[in-house]
Amino acid sequence: MEFTITQSDRAVTLAVSGRLDTNTAPLLEKQINELPPETETLVLDLMALTYTSSAGLRVLLIAQKKMMRQGQLILRHVSPQVREVLDITGFSDILTIEE
Amino acid sequence: MSKKKLRYSLSFRVIASIILTILVFGMLTSLIGYVRFTASMTREYNSAALRTAETAATLVNSDHIGLYLDSGGQNPEYLLSLQRMQILCEKQNVSLIYVIQVDTTDYAHFTSVFNTVHPSSGYTPWEIGYVRETTNESYREIYRSLYSRETEYATITRTRDLNGAPPHTTSMIPLKGADGTVRALLCVQRPMEQLQHMRRAYLWMVAGVTVLLAVGTSVTYSLFIRRQLLHPLQQIRAESVRFAQENSRNEKPLSESISKIDEIRTLAQSITQMETETLNYMSNLQSITAEKERIGTELSVASMIQESSIPNLFPAFPERTEFDIYASMSPAKEVGGDFYDFYLIDDDHLALVIADVSGKGVPAALFMMVTKILLKERAMMGGTPAEILEFVNSRICDNNRADMFVTVWFGILEISTGKITAANAGHDDPAVFRSGQGYTLHSEKHGLVIGAMQGMRYRNFEIDLEPGDKLFLYTDGVPEATNAQNQMFTLEQMLQSLNQTTRSNPEETLRKIRGDVDQFVGDAPQFDDLTMLCLKFGSAD
Repeated sequence: MEFTITQSDRAVTLAVSGRLDTNTAPLLEKQINELPPETETLVLDLMALTYTSSAGLRVLLIAQKKMMRQGQLILRHVSPQVREVLDITGFSDILTIEE
Repeated sequence: MSKKKLRYSLSFRVIASIILTILVFGMLTSLIGYVRFTASMTREYNSAALRTAETAATLVNSDHIGLYLDSGGQNPEYLLSLQRMQILCEKQNVSLIYVIQVDTTDYAHFTSVFNTVHPSSGYTPWEIGYVRETTNESYREIYRSLYSRETEYATITRTRDLNGAPPHTTSMIPLKGADGTVRALLCVQRPMEQLQHMRRAYLWMVAGVTVLLAVGTSVTYSLFIRRQLLHPLQQIRAESVRFAQENSRNEKPLSESISKIDEIRTLAQSITQMETETLNYMSNLQSITAEKERIGTELSVASMIQESSIPNLFPAFPERTEFDIYASMSPAKEVGGDFYDFYLIDDDHLALVIADVSGKGVPAALFMMVTKILLKERAMMGGTPAEILEFVNSRICDNNRADMFVTVWFGILEISTGKITAANAGHDDPAVFRSGQGYTLHSEKHGLVIGAMQGMRYRNFEIDLEPGDKLFLYTDGVPEATNAQNQMFTLEQMLQSLNQTTRSNPEETLRKIRGDVDQFVGDAPQFDDLTMLCLKFGSAD
């Protein structure tokens, strides 16, 4: 799994690629915890994300809770496989998903 | 290497090399000494003989030699000289002192003039006037050179062709008359015996000293090797063997002064240090192992608690013929986060639960127990599945520091009608079997997983079962079971397997699915918990 971070003004874009599972989810959690405190918009670009396990969902939940306090979280380019998991688990109801 | 061989080879080699070195050294010393000794002794010997000859020459009046011969020795002067010469011979301890007149025409004959013999030599003195042939060719040459005054003296050493005489040296000087011509030759013969005696004594001494030195050095060295090398090595070896067998600290550790040899001392210290470190390591390992065993025991007890917390005796309701139910749970680790549950809320209502906690192991198991208890306690108080899920979600969100969550499918079967009212908090859709249609997934809009977000609303939906219809609940461990080629079992394959069990009862159905999953996974390790529940509505025949 890899991250690409781009930062502009008060928005941070994190491009996540590969698999988000028990082994890799803590890495993403660390990235999110280390976001600059003034970040108002966090965009997770999931174009290259092929799989997410419940550990990955947990990190999305942590990100969502964190950004609800200081701005917003946007998921972008969600693949059909990941979208299916978000639908089953009901996460699509609470997350902002953009094309 | 065996003890015996070690001892043999080390001491044997060292001692053998010492003896060899000393022997070679001794032989070289003896040889050089022998040569030098012989040369200097011979020189000394000859010069002593020459001095005796010179002294004897003063006793003879050379000008009267012809007179002595003519008188046949009957001359007072001759007799006096002979007597004195005899005394000199005995005092000087030489074999012979004699004066000869050589026939100067061919030096092949000589006439004896004086002849004195040492009593112990065994010679018989020649009479005056006795004529004898020159016995040896080299003598003729020496006689000639002395008579012609080419040389002042001559020394001949004879060790062979002696005609029975012992080895000896003969020193010769010419006796000159008043006119300076050579009148006769005076010869002094000394036996070589003494020289040989002394030489032999010298050789014996050198050999004796060499042998003594070799023996002494070997003994000293072998004692040293035994005490400082072999004995310490044996101790170290014995200690190593003891440690390997007993794995314990030595009551009598290897002494610091085990040997005077630095290397051996260092070896002994290393052995002691190695033992200490090994023992430390072992005690560490023991405590780690004990800790692991303790955790293992706790986990197996936890596993028992978890298993016994969910209904696991089948048939679960032997007295109820309106439905048949079977369920199984196999955690990937000792304890798992998946669970199923079912219980009668009242005579006509059967609660059906399947749930999957995020994560695995002990944290998931703890979270599972909390969820399971909350669900059941709330369900027994009455209310719709949506209400129950909302309540439990709220309770869990109150204190969810670990940000864990659980997917729950919660249904209540009205046994009298076959109507299931259910709500889904983020769980996989169940498969429903209807006669003539086979298994299909029953898809409804999902609510959010439990524990994620406070204040979530859930929606009830209904599934109507006819007698003979079946409901199959599962966790994602079934469709996501993965084989060694990293391929998943998938929902499609799960439905295919299910559709081969249309005539089976719930227990047979679960065994079939489990068998197919196991066959698909093969030798790959099980990563996720595998939990299934199957309900057949209607009489169990």
